[in-house]
Amino acid sequence: MSLATQIFYAVISVTVATAYGLTLGGITRKIYARVHGRFGPPVWQPFLDIIQTSGRRVSVSHGNMFLLGPVFRLAGGLGTYLFIPVIYGSAVFSNFSMAGDLLLVMYFVFFGQLGMALGAGQGGHPYSPIGIARGLAQMSTFELPFALAVIAVAIQYNSLNITSIVAAQQGGFMNWTLFTNPLAVVAAMISLLGMNMHSPFSIVLAPQEIPIGPPIEMNSGFLSILQTNRGLFAAAKLVLFMNLFFGGATNLLEMVAKTFFIYMFSVFVGAAYPRFRPEQSFRFFLKWPTIAGILSIIYIAYLGGTS
Amino acid sequence: MISSYTLILGIALLIIGFYAMLTRKNLIKMVIGFSIADTGTHIIIVSLGYLRGKTAPIIDQAVSAVNAVQKVVDPIPSALVLTAIVIGLAVTAVMLSFIVEMYRKNKSLSIDDYQELKW
Amino acid sequence: MVSPIYILILSLAVGFLLSILDKGGRRLSLTAFYGVLTFNVAVVADWLYRFVFHHVPNLVINTAGFKAPISINLELGVTEAFVLLFANLTGLLAAVYLFRKFKESQVSSLILYLLLIMGVNGLVMTRDLFNMFVFLEILSISTFALTALTRNLKTLSSGFKYMIAGGVASTFFLLGVVFVYYFTGSLNLGFLDAGQFTGVSLIALFMLSVAVFIELKPFPANGWVLDVYQSVDSGIVSVIAVVNSAAVGFVFYKIMPLMPQNFLTVFGIAGVVTFFFSNMMGLKQENAKRLLGYSSVGQMGLLMAVLVFTANAPTNIRYLIIGGLFFNHLFSKAGLFWLAGIVKQEKTRDWTVLRNNKLLLVLFGLFIFALSGLPPFPGFWAKWEFVKVLVDAKMFFVLTSVLVGSLFELIFLFRWFTITVKEDNSELEPMASPHGSMVLPASVFGLLGSVAAFAVMKYFYGFGWLQVLPIGAVLFFYLTDFLPAKVKGFLSLGAIAGYGYCIYPLIESNIQLFFGAIFIVGSAVNLISTLNRKNQSRGFYGFLLMMIFSFGNLLIATSYLEFFLSWEFMTIASFLLILRGRKAQKASLMYMIFSTAGAYLLMAGFGFAPAPASASALILAIESVNLPLISIIVLAIGFMIKSGSLGVHIWLPEAHAEAESDVSSFISAILLKAGVFGLMMVAISYVSHAPSFDVFYWIGWIGVLTALAGAFMASFQEDAKRLLAYSSMSQVGYIVAALALITHLGWVSALYLVFNHMMFKSALFIAVAGIYYRTHTRTMYKMGGLISKMPWTFMTVLMCIIAVSGVPPLSGFGGKWLTYTAFITKGWYLQAGVLFFASGVSFLYLYRLIHTIFLGQLKYEHQEVREAPVWFIIPQFIFLGAIMAISMFPSLIIKPLNVIAMRYFDSSIQIEGLTIISDLGYWNGNLIMYVTMGVFAVPFILLLLVKGKTQKVKQFNIVYSAERPESPQTTHVAHNMYAHYRKALGSWTVPRVEAFWSGVSEWAHAFGGFFRRVYTGNGQTYVLYIIMYIVVIYAVMGVQ
Repeated sequence: MSLATQIFYAVISVTVATAYGLTLGGITRKIYARVHGRFGPPVWQPFLDIIQTSGRRVSVSHGNMFLLGPVFRLAGGLGTYLFIPVIYGSAVFSNFSMAGDLLLVMYFVFFGQLGMALGAGQGGHPYSPIGIARGLAQMSTFELPFALAVIAVAIQYNSLNITSIVAAQQGGFMNWTLFTNPLAVVAAMISLLGMNMHSPFSIVLAPQEIPIGPPIEMNSGFLSILQTNRGLFAAAKLVLFMNLFFGGATNLLEMVAKTFFIYMFSVFVGAAYPRFRPEQSFRFFLKWPTIAGILSIIYIAYLGGTS
Repeated sequence: MISSYTLILGIALLIIGFYAMLTRKNLIKMVIGFSIADTGTHIIIVSLGYLRGKTAPIIDQAVSAVNAVQKVVDPIPSALVLTAIVIGLAVTAVMLSFIVEMYRKNKSLSIDDYQELKW
Repeated sequence: MVSPIYILILSLAVGFLLSILDKGGRRLSLTAFYGVLTFNVAVVADWLYRFVFHHVPNLVINTAGFKAPISINLELGVTEAFVLLFANLTGLLAAVYLFRKFKESQVSSLILYLLLIMGVNGLVMTRDLFNMFVFLEILSISTFALTALTRNLKTLSSGFKYMIAGGVASTFFLLGVVFVYYFTGSLNLGFLDAGQFTGVSLIALFMLSVAVFIELKPFPANGWVLDVYQSVDSGIVSVIAVVNSAAVGFVFYKIMPLMPQNFLTVFGIAGVVTFFFSNMMGLKQENAKRLLGYSSVGQMGLLMAVLVFTANAPTNIRYLIIGGLFFNHLFSKAGLFWLAGIVKQEKTRDWTVLRNNKLLLVLFGLFIFALSGLPPFPGFWAKWEFVKVLVDAKMFFVLTSVLVGSLFELIFLFRWFTITVKEDNSELEPMASPHGSMVLPASVFGLLGSVAAFAVMKYFYGFGWLQVLPIGAVLFFYLTDFLPAKVKGFLSLGAIAGYGYCIYPLIESNIQLFFGAIFIVGSAVNLISTLNRKNQSRGFYGFLLMMIFSFGNLLIATSYLEFFLSWEFMTIASFLLILRGRKAQKASLMYMIFSTAGAYLLMAGFGFAPAPASASALILAIESVNLPLISIIVLAIGFMIKSGSLGVHIWLPEAHAEAESDVSSFISAILLKAGVFGLMMVAISYVSHAPSFDVFYWIGWIGVLTALAGAFMASFQEDAKRLLAYSSMSQVGYIVAALALITHLGWVSALYLVFNHMMFKSALFIAVAGIYYRTHTRTMYKMGGLISKMPWTFMTVLMCIIAVSGVPPLSGFGGKWLTYTAFITKGWYLQAGVLFFASGVSFLYLYRLIHTIFLGQLKYEHQEVREAPVWFIIPQFIFLGAIMAISMFPSLIIKPLNVIAMRYFDSSIQIEGLTIISDLGYWNGNLIMYVTMGVFAVPFILLLLVKGKTQKVKQFNIVYSAERPESPQTTHVAHNMYAHYRKALGSWTVPRVEAFWSGVSEWAHAFGGFFRRVYTGNGQTYVLYIIMYIVVIYAVMGVQ
């Protein structure tokens, strides 16, 4: 496959994922609104927001790192997505997954977060580092159960190669990790709640109240980049989860269906629960999902689960 | 037999001397105790070299060089005790001279008053 | 060829004549006096020379025209000559030291002094027991009298206690002599042997030997001598502590052949007990001379133990141990007592005045180092061999006590040293310039000690110039210290290059080459940052080069001793470098204590290890060595102390933080790797000779917990250097854990992490050094917004934190990928989970580092701050370039590491083009880099196109709840940044390890404080102790 084709495919893949992710965001807002008893914005509101913000005439910057922050963020989203094979057996949606395995994806997630944190930091607004400090702290705690789940998966399939992990889950839904290694899925899905930052883990952005969180100083074009990334990044994470735990997808429709339900899990939880205080959130992740993760490893590695 | 009496005497003196050194607070009495112990030591030494019915190991009219071995006690303890007495004397003298100086400086003869240096 | 009998004759004769000569003026009597002392030295030296180089037979001198046993005879052999040479030399030098006193005092003190020296000579040479008693009494009486050379209440009362105690001891000695004669009919050592003592006659022998032993001041029957050491004039004390002790010690040595084994064992153990308790009690001591007293008493105890426990060692080793300890104690203790007389400060805390006189300060350091048993001084070699002997004889109780006791000694000596070098001395009156006659003796001994050190290295062990080079570097820069720092810096760079060129041919394997790159090349680049030093920066480059050369020597060491020697040189050099930091007193002391504890463990561990069979470098030769389990454990702990593993890490943050900025980078980036190198050495042996107990499994756990704990601690620091220090601890935890996997991939990842950590941590420390240089603060929340002022430094820190965190595309990701893959492949799943967690936590401190310094609000006082000096920027960018290179082309580093690890294991990875494939997954660093660049470039260009004209706003132009922020201080969120995290973790963040060690320290001091209460100061109590001691020893020995 030539580089040009590869890039061409990547562009398609990214576009689809972004659009899908943004739509999911719109649906979320709709659902939240209905839960709150409001009518809510249209589903395509995220697209409108991006157009609106990028159309602003005034654009304010606090310095070079501030300027690069959103770029890092989007690059992180793009990269994360591009290192995941989205659809099993599809050339168009296999992206650049030959560059590295699951570990690469897990660590590339941080690329955007770190860059964004730096950019926001230069904004000089006190709320940015507060949000970032919470975000980093929470991230370190939910990464633990997720990592344990990933280790369990790696033991189970004896691979860190996402494509092989998906391949091993083919042939009926009973082969999905969800059923072969349910504890790992429990651990990972709870971490997903943290990753998606819906309630009760919405301590970073606290979007419904005062303007708080890392992007507080972000405006116009910067914000539009962040909003775009929000869609893409959400899609990337969901695809990753689908691949690891829900048998992957052999076509676009399957992908959409599966990821939709994975996403709805965190949306429903978010709509139903109130928010934790930061330390409650951290402790929560270090307790139940971590125990689930450890148990899943014990189950797989030492009790001979699945094999 | 005499030698064992003297030996017991020597040991007794030694113990008395040590007892004095351990219980008397007065510096001079301690030195006296030391002297008693020293004397006890000397008696022990002499008693060890004593042979019944023999005379001092000095070659004079009573003892000729020829029959010396039969007539005299073991000469070595006697020689030793002479040296030991001299040395004991010297030590006692130095001790007493120290006490004099100490008394001049501190106006006390109690060992309890010389405890400034400790730990 | 003058017969040594003339020493006695001349001393007596001149002694009697002195009072007459004195009538002709003090000059005349002094001439005669020093003449005799010099004569003594010359005669003995001459004999020693003959014994050693011409192998003349021992000289036996019969007196009174008869042969022994009819008459008293003297004997002079090589051991006697050795002891006498140094005893007489010390006597002469102490007399020189006392010159001004002797000029003014009564002539009787000269006479007494001569008698004392004569007593010593006689005591050493005589073979007759009663004659021994006589000389002992001559020695004692003259010493008693000399204690009153300066006459005050303290000297008098201590002298009196001394006399009472000495009187009791000599009473027993005399009784012993007489009873020995009574039972055996002989007083001559030549006609006595152990077989003659059975049953009741053993009591005679017991009294004799216990009396000598009491004269050697065993704990606790030694209170009197401490008072003497504390109060009496330093010159006299040096003689009592060194010369008298040597003579009495030699008496003990002479009667040792008579004693049955149970006597010897009890005396040996009593010696060890004395050594241990004296040093423990020394911990609480603040009076300098009394402290030296405790140390002296301890050293004599050690000497006794050595005499007893080395009986079965090969002769030359035995001589080295006994002679080494004897000489070491002699020159260092005498030197220190002489210094005490010059300094004239009672408290160790007030010795800071010594800093006024550089020569004396150097001598002080030299004596302290020697006394602590550090190389290259003789005590070091003696201790090394002694440990080996003890290990071979399986005397673990003695071994432990000796090592712990030595550690106590080192603690109080180095506390004293660091106080003297560092503590504020502005409130003390400066020291008066000492008279030359007082400085000369100490200088002579300093020189002599150094010469002896060199002689042992060169002639006993046959070390080459490379091993001596670290010392050479110190000497060279000591002599050229007047040069400006930059010149010396460039000289050092040249020296490192030359050194590298010299050791390159000696390097036999890739693993040495790899660590050579870390140690030598890494040091060279780090050294560039020191070129920023101003003025002369005295005493810096010498120790720096000493450290760097020692690193290099570790690589090519071919024996345990060579390795350990370089290891100790490295420790000394790094300690002295850390000590240079402005507030580094406590930190450097803690570093030294932990390092030495580690070193003792290494010493024991090497003692247990069978010698390598091949002559290759140790790191290679160790492959075929089957290390016993105990050796592995002990060595591993020793090395892990140096690499700052959890539990023994508490020195690490202090040392890193308080060292000078440009030194910290060496410590973190390179020194810690020496520990890794050592651990690797143990692991290499382990690969082919795994014992039944899986040690490295537990080391692996310690490693991962270190990684986690380090990350936690780093997150809660406010001080940039402490943060980096804990980060180092965490990173080295990864390395240790990966090493402990004992798999191919594990070692590849460990070495990869070593390389990576060396680069990014050097760069980070140098960056922080630059920031500190400009802002004069390390407290991060006092900074902020420096990105605009120091963009280049920011660039480095940014790149480095990406590299640390493991975020692709930089080199850190390779480390993560390798490590996790290795852990999962090995089956260490939970450990991998902990590492993941640690890696997540590391983001906290990394962000904190960069945010609080560079982002947020710029403080007003930093408005004028400029970019760091170019000497800081250059090394940072060299490291950055290297990081970029291996990020872009990981196979540059992975391929050689693969080869290194393949020496020990089958390869577990394939390298296909630019992709590295493991059993579990794959990684193409090159492609990742391109994709990252691509995905970065696209939004960046878009942003530039769409929003080319962004408006740059000023500080404080932020949306802030409709208010204008007050000041940068209140707006910059930096202080206690992760308060919520700390709250969430609760009791996990309590620094328990520090609490544990401070508890240990407190207990040791409390015990010391408790035991020293036995020294009530009451002379009567001391007599009681002596008598009780004799009774107890009697009971323990089980004599009928």
